[in-house]
Amino acid sequence: MIHFYVCLKQVPDVYAPLQIKDGELIQDSGRMVLNAYDASALEEALVLTEKHGGKVTAVLAGPEKAKETLRKGLAMGADEGVHIVTEEGSAYDSLYYAGLLAAFFRDKEYHFISCGKQSQDTDAGLTGSMLAQLLELPYATNAVGLTLEDNRLLVKRQGDHGQEMIELPSPGLVTCSNDMNEPRIPSLKGIMQSKKKPVETIQASSLTGDGIRSVTTLLGYEEKPKREPGQKFEGDPEELAITIAGLLDSKENLM
Amino acid sequence: MSTLLTYIAVHDGKIKRSSLEVLSRCNELAAELGWESVALVLQPDATKAIEGLKPYGPAKIYTMSHPHFHQHLTTPLLRAIGHAVKEIQPRVVAFASTEGSKDLLGALSAAHGSAALPDMSEFSIDTEGVSGKRPVMAAKILSSVRADGSPVFVSVRSGSYNPEEREGEAAVQELSFSFNDADLRTTLREIVTATSDKIDLSEAETVIAAGRGVKDEEGRALIRELADVLQAGVGASRALTEAGIYDPSLQIGQTGKVVSPQLYIGVGISGAIQHVAGMSNSKVIVAINKDPDAPIFEIADYGIVGDLYKVLPPFIDEIRRIKSA
Ligand SMILES: Cc1cc2nc3c(=O)[nH]c(=O)nc-3n(C[C@H](O)[C@H](O)[C@H](O)COP(=O)(O)OP(=O)(O)OC[C@H]3O[C@@H](n4cnc5c(N)ncnc54)[C@H](O)[C@@H]3O)c2cc1C
Ligand SMILES: Nc1ncnc2c1ncn2[C@@H]1O[C@H](COP(=O)(O)O)[C@@H](O)[C@H]1O
Repeated sequence: MIHFYVCLKQVPDVYAPLQIKDGELIQDSGRMVLNAYDASALEEALVLTEKHGGKVTAVLAGPEKAKETLRKGLAMGADEGVHIVTEEGSAYDSLYYAGLLAAFFRDKEYHFISCGKQSQDTDAGLTGSMLAQLLELPYATNAVGLTLEDNRLLVKRQGDHGQEMIELPSPGLVTCSNDMNEPRIPSLKGIMQSKKKPVETIQASSLTGDGIRSVTTLLGYEEKPKREPGQKFEGDPEELAITIAGLLDSKENLM
Repeated sequence: MSTLLTYIAVHDGKIKRSSLEVLSRCNELAAELGWESVALVLQPDATKAIEGLKPYGPAKIYTMSHPHFHQHLTTPLLRAIGHAVKEIQPRVVAFASTEGSKDLLGALSAAHGSAALPDMSEFSIDTEGVSGKRPVMAAKILSSVRADGSPVFVSVRSGSYNPEEREGEAAVQELSFSFNDADLRTTLREIVTATSDKIDLSEAETVIAAGRGVKDEEGRALIRELADVLQAGVGASRALTEAGIYDPSLQIGQTGKVVSPQLYIGVGISGAIQHVAGMSNSKVIVAINKDPDAPIFEIADYGIVGDLYKVLPPFIDEIRRIKSA
């Protein structure tokens, strides 16, 4: 019986309109979603446990209202949930969450912890390997495919110049890319069942350990420098091709 | 004296340009602060990188040689960098942001109980720590961040700085490194695929990116031909890497690689924010798309509305003509 813990994070929807005022990010706080990379991590854990038997526990650290994202994980098919409740509106960094999760996992037994490779709002990509380090677990990052082989996880990992197959013993930790599956959309039945699934609630303040702290400071937000507006060309394909090739040569000096 | 340490990535015997970019920025900051900028190379025979590194002017080059550094193996790399940090006691350890450094940054930060600032598009250093900017929200905006303490682990997006040669004769110091294979906690079973492209996408001066509009062998051949006449690197959108049409290492974007060429030509790509996140710092952006409302046209310097199968052949011919003139 393989036991997976999948770490889910609630993140702002990157498609929601946003505005910056005096360095602060103003965004519809109602538009929060399950981090896309975590959805892929969960999908893969579900596929593996459906095939080999086992259990999937979803763990989320976040404020009270992030529970809806944990529910989504349960509706997708996780067997049970753990909600580590943090203070509303605080800007925590990856080391804080990794510290919190490490304190939670310290006395747990499991085969694998699975994380997203990064949060889709901040692209930090730190929590997974931080957590592995804090728990002294072997780990592999940026998985694009997972296979189970006698309680070992074969991780196909996307590196800079190609892919490699890494054998990860249990207990271990893996971080997942979204390039390995299409996460399932919860069915109506799944949503109904999710309401009956057990969710353990833990106050973040009750978890202790050294290093549950943020070490970076978010100073504010700003717009990216605007690009000069460009030009759009329509018409006969051959003429367009010749015109643009000419401009790239004469105007941009790129030939 | 305080020290800034740059990790130098080497692939196929070649020092990565993105590492030289980071080293050059550290050199500049060290000069301002009166500190020392040094470099660290981990290779099977790290001394081979010395000559290539010297012109970029680190005060010192630390080498560590071990057969394991031939591949990306997490445990030996963490152990080696940890050892170097202990020996050198740097205030900052800077990396080019690559899949290789992304694999290590969090673990290094947690192991040292100190901060990591990943994927920075600019950074500065003062006596307290590191500050700078990084793109967030699928690179739609920038956030300003800061980390105090020591050492701070920083990674820098490729193309954020220019590699600059400078005067000075670097001292070379070999750091000893031994590794017991019983400590390898994961096993590298095999290399599944390795990109055969001669041009490294993240360093390419010109990038041709293919999207879903490139449907078939004919389309791929046109992309190849255009890349050949322009001596460009070929990249792709997720639509095509996911479909197995292009190698996943070629994906450009939030999940894939960041490119910052002089010229980016997107062919049959809609311009989804997650793709744009990886290419919006290109100097000149050309888009070929048959849909006049495709979002890519909002950021393209030159937008060609048309069918790629009709536009590319005369485009390639004309470029060839200009080149041979
Ligand atoms: C968390 C997350 C991360 C992601 N990361 C990435 C990433 O790193 N990189 C990435 O690329 N995507 C990424 N995506 C996916 C992204 O959202 C888009 O789905 C993807 O970029 C679309 O690829 P495309 O533009 O090739 O395809 P489409 O959006 O389908 O666009 C195809 C375009 O081709 C045009 N076209 C069709 N036929 C022709 C023709 N004959 N001639 C000219 N034009 C034609 C069409 O008009 C259309 O605009 C990510 C998504 C998520 C959720
Ligand atoms: N608050 C959190 N609760 C649960 N998992 C988290 C949390 N923060 C980060 N993670 C996990 O760590 C991954 C990487 O996060 P990050 O370091 O923010 O990019 C995410 O994809 C999640 O799997």
